Amino acid sequence: MKVIEVNNLIKNYGKIKAVDGVSFDVNEGEIFGMVGPNGAGKTTTIECIEGLRKPDEGIINVLNLNPSTDREKFYEKVGVQLQETNYQDKIKVYEICELFASLYKKPLNYTDLLKRFGLYDFKNGFVMKLSGGQKQKLSIILALISNPEIIFLDEITTGLDPKARRDMWKIVKELKDEGKTIFLTTHYMEEAEFLCDRVAIIDKGKIVELDTPEKLIEKSGIEDMISFETKDINIEELKKVKGVNEVSFKNGEVTIYGRGEDLLKEVVDYLYLNRIYFKNLKTKKPNLEDTFLKFTGREYVEVKDENLN
Amino acid sequence: MKTLISLIKIDFKLILREFVVVFFSLAFSVLMILMFGGIYGNEPSPFFGGFGSVDVLVPSYLGVILSVNGIMSLPLTLVEYRDKKILKRFMATPMKSNNIIISQLIVNFVLTIIGFLLLLIIGKFVFDLKFYGNIFIFILAFIISTLSIFSIGFLIASLVKNIRSANAIANIIYFPMIFLSGATFPIENFPKFMLNIAKALPLTYIVDLFKRIWLNSDLSWVKSNLSLKIDFIVLIVILIICFAISVFKFRWYYD
Repeated sequence: MKVIEVNNLIKNYGKIKAVDGVSFDVNEGEIFGMVGPNGAGKTTTIECIEGLRKPDEGIINVLNLNPSTDREKFYEKVGVQLQETNYQDKIKVYEICELFASLYKKPLNYTDLLKRFGLYDFKNGFVMKLSGGQKQKLSIILALISNPEIIFLDEITTGLDPKARRDMWKIVKELKDEGKTIFLTTHYMEEAEFLCDRVAIIDKGKIVELDTPEKLIEKSGIEDMISFETKDINIEELKKVKGVNEVSFKNGEVTIYGRGEDLLKEVVDYLYLNRIYFKNLKTKKPNLEDTFLKFTGREYVEVKDENLN
Repeated sequence: MKTLISLIKIDFKLILREFVVVFFSLAFSVLMILMFGGIYGNEPSPFFGGFGSVDVLVPSYLGVILSVNGIMSLPLTLVEYRDKKILKRFMATPMKSNNIIISQLIVNFVLTIIGFLLLLIIGKFVFDLKFYGNIFIFILAFIISTLSIFSIGFLIASLVKNIRSANAIANIIYFPMIFLSGATFPIENFPKFMLNIAKALPLTYIVDLFKRIWLNSDLSWVKSNLSLKIDFIVLIVILIICFAISVFKFRWYYD
């Protein structure tokens, strides 16, 4: 069942086409991701769907509601985490939870949520004293307080350290297991690949490709790579191994490109049967980042996170 | 309604955690009245046209309390909420956004009244403070002054984009205003030149208005050429202009 339908969404800022005719659907219970570099139109798209920006053109339908005109019903059913929200300097964790609980008709018990996300011990502390990861958890708690059917997460892990990022991934997966539909944006390709059931690659305001991460990689036609070091090898024979398309031998290192589930097994069997000595065997499967390059013709430049460096 | 009440509850807790606002709302005027009252007493004095110094200064200090809430607390809170995207986050809930403004108005208004009551109690019990005017006219003047000064706060919140500039602007307006308008130092001994500067400040009209009504006097010993009518007109004009601009210029968030 489709819970979000977006049809020909257009949003301009002056002469800049931030979102340029985007259409897609999100199914109930899936994690739908939108990836792309900064400025690609992710946040504008998600905020139009969240009812926070008014599209210039296009139709948005969420749970059969129009986000901009059915505000009260809409926000009872969806939970929103905005990119870069901070909270009042001197508000305490339990106070902001209490406040958000009072905004909804049937709020969940926020104490349970605080316990679940490991923030219960901080409930009497000031929000501004929380770490980046804890603040993001709080944002998720506030998005969950209404017990929404759909959750919007805009760059939930940007600026988090690797551990906090993994924690966040676990939380997102758990939310999916509970039957929530999740719409997220990220500029981390590996995050989209790990979390999302379906991914829309967006670049310059347009959706370039939309599919499951596996299918996207397959569609890109980028092959698996196997490399190992050896002394001497017959390249022509190696090319005949099933699945192998291309072989190169340079400075004692063999690099093989090919496809197929059994590619690695076939290659290793060949080496073994022909008693060819090899070491340092490595394999590399193409990832979404490679696919981005393929689909847009541009290198995917990730924004450097200050916190990571 | 449930939402508005929780919002007011939280906003009230938060305003009590702001040192500057709490100090100037609750402590500053009380300290000033204890100081001036302690030095001059509240006996009739020719310097204050035959009134006691405390009787003249208490209505002036109400201006100090009113402006810290209207010119500092109100715009700084709204700009902070917008700057940190708290307003935007609230827009993504079923709450009606006007509640945020209503709550801020109520909280700042209540704190002003608490500060004023504190001042009245100290004035009454320590210096035998006297009120000579008509209580209903005073309440009317208080409401119009509140709306007028709060509308200036809204104007700041509407025109200033980030918390740093808002802080600078609120401080630049507030501090000179409380010292030059007669709200803290008696305007009675201001030279002509300073009186003209004072007349450029909205708070001068509020202080003048409060004193006129409180003392039921024409303040003939103050050479300011103001009158009840001028005060009311100036404050209402400020209210209309600031409110009108704010309505068009105020943004809940910037894209």
